[in-house]
Amino acid sequence: MSIILQWVSFWLSLLVLPLLLLGVIRKLKARLQNRIGAPITQPFLNFFKLMNKTETISETSSWLFRTTSVINLASVLLVAFLAPWLSYQPAIPGDDLFLVIYLLALVRFFTILSSLDTASPFGTFSSAREATLSLLVEPAMVLSLIALALSQHSTSLSKIFAFLPEISLASLPLWLLAGAGLFISSLCELSRMPIDDPTTHLELTMVHEAMIIENSGKNLALTELSYALRMAVLFGLCAQCFLHALCCIWHPNVLQQSLLSVVFLFLVGFATALVEATAVKLPWRTAPNFIAYGLTMSLLAAFVAIAQGSLK
Amino acid sequence: MKVKHLEIPLNKRLTSLSSWLADKHQRLGLITSIDGSQLITLVLDPQQGSAQLWESPLSGDEYPSLTPLIPQCHWYERAVWDLFGLYPNGHPRLKQLLLHEVYDPHFHPLRTIARLPEIVSATQRKYEFLKVEGEGVYEVPVGPIHAGIIEPGHFRLSCLGEEILNLEIRLGYLHRGIEKQLSKIPWQKARFLAEAASSDTAAANALAHAQAMESLVQIQAPPKAQYLRSLSLELERIAMHIADLGGMAVDIGYLGMASTLARLRGSALRLADLLTGTRFQRGFILPGGVHKDPDKQLSTIRHETHKLKVSLEPVITLFVENSSAQERMETIGRVSPSLARDFGLVGIAGRASGIAYDTRQHFPQGIFPTHAPPVAVETKGDVSARIKVRITELFNSLALIETLLEEIPAGSVLSCVPDKLPANSIGVGIVEAFRGELIHLVFTGADKAISRYAIKDPSFNNWTGLSIAVRGNLLADFPICNKSFSLSYSGHDL
Repeated sequence: MSIILQWVSFWLSLLVLPLLLLGVIRKLKARLQNRIGAPITQPFLNFFKLMNKTETISETSSWLFRTTSVINLASVLLVAFLAPWLSYQPAIPGDDLFLVIYLLALVRFFTILSSLDTASPFGTFSSAREATLSLLVEPAMVLSLIALALSQHSTSLSKIFAFLPEISLASLPLWLLAGAGLFISSLCELSRMPIDDPTTHLELTMVHEAMIIENSGKNLALTELSYALRMAVLFGLCAQCFLHALCCIWHPNVLQQSLLSVVFLFLVGFATALVEATAVKLPWRTAPNFIAYGLTMSLLAAFVAIAQGSLK
Repeated sequence: MKVKHLEIPLNKRLTSLSSWLADKHQRLGLITSIDGSQLITLVLDPQQGSAQLWESPLSGDEYPSLTPLIPQCHWYERAVWDLFGLYPNGHPRLKQLLLHEVYDPHFHPLRTIARLPEIVSATQRKYEFLKVEGEGVYEVPVGPIHAGIIEPGHFRLSCLGEEILNLEIRLGYLHRGIEKQLSKIPWQKARFLAEAASSDTAAANALAHAQAMESLVQIQAPPKAQYLRSLSLELERIAMHIADLGGMAVDIGYLGMASTLARLRGSALRLADLLTGTRFQRGFILPGGVHKDPDKQLSTIRHETHKLKVSLEPVITLFVENSSAQERMETIGRVSPSLARDFGLVGIAGRASGIAYDTRQHFPQGIFPTHAPPVAVETKGDVSARIKVRITELFNSLALIETLLEEIPAGSVLSCVPDKLPANSIGVGIVEAFRGELIHLVFTGADKAISRYAIKDPSFNNWTGLSIAVRGNLLADFPICNKSFSLSYSGHDL
């Protein structure tokens, strides 16, 4: 594939896929509950609606509150360029695994700061919850990526996720475990069920939605856009893991890989919708147990990677 | 239902009431006044199915508060202070309940006698929340405008980290003056206002109103009307129990369950529509009987009820047997049986804490002396117990409806109601609304018109129960506790 075509298709995906994925997940959730649901283009419509709305800004907030959504969007955009969440993504130098992890941590850091900045009690307890959750989730997420890095002997994400022709059946468990670990930690990272319920109207039970409760207008539009982008990148990485697992059995060509990476992204979205339509939200005290599943998957993946390395 | 009218002097009130409540089956019905020159205490004996009305004449604007020794009086004394300007001396946390700062400090809407000048300064409408202090304690204000389409009420949660230390509930945003208006409008039209006291409890309020008026003029509704009234009451219970279970499913994030229950609630409301002509059963029950005879619909109702029961059973089984849903609800929001009794909790909240009190059993009217379903009691007092009580009652009511539809007699549905009310009489109606014990108490004056119309909604007792239940729980569990009580704001505020 020529580099220009690669860039054009990547830009198009970047503009369309994140909000589309959000819309598809909501639609699937509604259909799974026998509801018709909003059209899948609703997130786009919401985005433009919010961009045209007047902003209400809390008098007690500072520049932090106003700039956070821009900082976050910029960080997430950078992550979207660095992390290979689509197989046809052009590689950029400096795509280090730890850079991506800490850019995501930066997003969380600024979200927490801005929610504390508004001095709303909802911001106070939700940022405390977010900080607790991230403390638990980060090891699981980092470990699953490190397991992959170990097997490829590189922390460059484009090298980790490169489609190697010699990939063998022996790598299948590693990719599957890493993918599962990444999926579970992404659910927590993105404040989805069963840790956090993005659809209930009750701010008292929420994490992410309670943090952005004071955001409105353009600020909210950008916050939601960066959320959608973050979701697309994280689910895209999961999809890539599962796609690599598939490549262990069957070797698709470049075009098939590109198409499959989009299909797999939506399949991960479907899995999320399935979890959200059937699971019950966990009690706050047992949330760590769920994250522990993710951590276990990642630990197993790391173990497999080390075992494979020592066998070679 | 007849009540025994006794005069109890003010200084004997405390001993009489505490010895009455010493028998743990006996209950306090309500405390109010007629015009501000006396205190009225309605006490109930569920074992005998009898009630007594104690009248204690007042000489001034003050009376000794019973709250320090009988805690369940606290809410009534606050209401009486607001509405009549009678000051409960010694009330530990006296503050406004129904009338907010915008009202004139000397305004006591139900007081009709002239006010004595000396006490005026005691009434200040300044509201202060209980302050919880200490390192790391912060307050979360929720409402009065909530993030859903529900009624207004303010919750002030004092928290330490995730743990709730104290919940103070401020109500009164929906105070519409219904009780005062009921004593002003012609009594023949009062039913429309009485059933609007709490809109989701229209059938129960209409029934309590009808029973109160019927006991006043001493008539009976015809047998067929009695059956139709019970059908209407039980259909309301079914629809609202399904709605509350669905609300619970929403709050624990069980979305598939929530949408299924929302659909089934629609079926229950459609049954109510078939029976009464409106989904929320407005204008059906009236003093003397019911408004119309839905004879032609009865076979459809029987058929549809059976269909509803068949489709509900697997859904509820799925809800009950879902282990993560159970884990979410167990041990949360516990009210111990002793506290439930001390604060006089009624209905679902009371029965979930082991108080086997159901007015259909204990003060049976209409068809209930022979048909009252068994009292659904649980002992744990947590969210899951309240859900279980709801589920048991739901199926009991469905079974009762099927029996009633089989046995329903023929005949007229409306008795003749006299034109005039008797002078200086008392009428009382006690109904088991879906939330619990609902009391309508009517007094007539010498002019043969209603001089005071008092309504005690079950929510009036149970709001305190919510405060008790959430104490020591996680902030994230507050919405679940709140939903498991499912209380009415408008029924409380009146």
